[in-house]
Amino acid sequence: MKYLEDFTVGQVFTYPPRTVSEDEIIAFAREYDPQPFHLDKEAAKQSLFGGLCASGWHTAGMMMRMLVDNMIGKYASMGSPGVDQLRWVKPVFPGDTLQLSGEVLEVRPSQSKPDRGVITSRYEMKNQKGETVLTMQAKGMYGRRPAQG
Amino acid sequence: MAAGRRKAKTMQYFEDIHPGSAREIGNHTFSEDAIIAFARQFDPQPFHIDPAAAKRSAFGGIIASGWHTAATVMRMIVDSAIEVEASLGSPGFDDLAWLKPVRPGDTIRARMTCIDKTPSRSRPGIGSARFLIEAFNQNDELVMRYTSIGIMRFRNPA
Repeated sequence: MKYLEDFTVGQVFTYPPRTVSEDEIIAFAREYDPQPFHLDKEAAKQSLFGGLCASGWHTAGMMMRMLVDNMIGKYASMGSPGVDQLRWVKPVFPGDTLQLSGEVLEVRPSQSKPDRGVITSRYEMKNQKGETVLTMQAKGMYGRRPAQG
Repeated sequence: MAAGRRKAKTMQYFEDIHPGSAREIGNHTFSEDAIIAFARQFDPQPFHIDPAAAKRSAFGGIIASGWHTAATVMRMIVDSAIEVEASLGSPGFDDLAWLKPVRPGDTIRARMTCIDKTPSRSRPGIGSARFLIEAFNQNDELVMRYTSIGIMRFRNPA
């Protein structure tokens, strides 16, 4: 298990790529974001996006899964206070392969709770063409390494 | 999820959006099964998927992924506030805070308040608006808030 102390400012994380299918895009959108350009191929062709594309919240969820599987899950995660900024820069289409990278901007032990602290990180997700599809600056709360005893 | 009855939509085209106006956009009760199912797929941390581990965590029990809360509120926005003919999607959001845990059995209601709106300078007939989105639990505690940005068409482009 890793702790707050194991993060350093400037530390870079890279994540394994992941391909998203049309079925996944439609299944998520049916439940959480049923707009025509996330659900219906024909309607999506007429939209500004030019084709069926993933709900931005789905893209965010896929990013979260990449983070949990490859980073957060190895640390003493205590959840997240929030997201400073998230931008859906380009649409994510069926068959796109998404790759995330992240950098630690700040590591700050809590003033009031000595067992934890918060890191601020900047993330960028690209598609297989190298185009940025999503950027995010977000916070994560982590436990501090317990005292040896 | 249960979508609930579709409500009359009043925030449709750019002209229909009025800064300062607020409206309730729906409510939803979170079951433990739904919390675990979402988290297994998108946020499989122990305090979202494993009741025993969650009990030992700082949260004291299973809580919903913050992304689950956000996606559920998105569904409320789509069902109550977005006119499909007018909506052109969203470039993103700012200042999202997960302020309190959402637990199994909690009923979350959401409110949407228009902050401001701006016609596009480069694309006639299109504008953007910012909305404060707030989600409250059954005790009226604010559990999540963020500022969303929406892009929409004018009903009557000049």
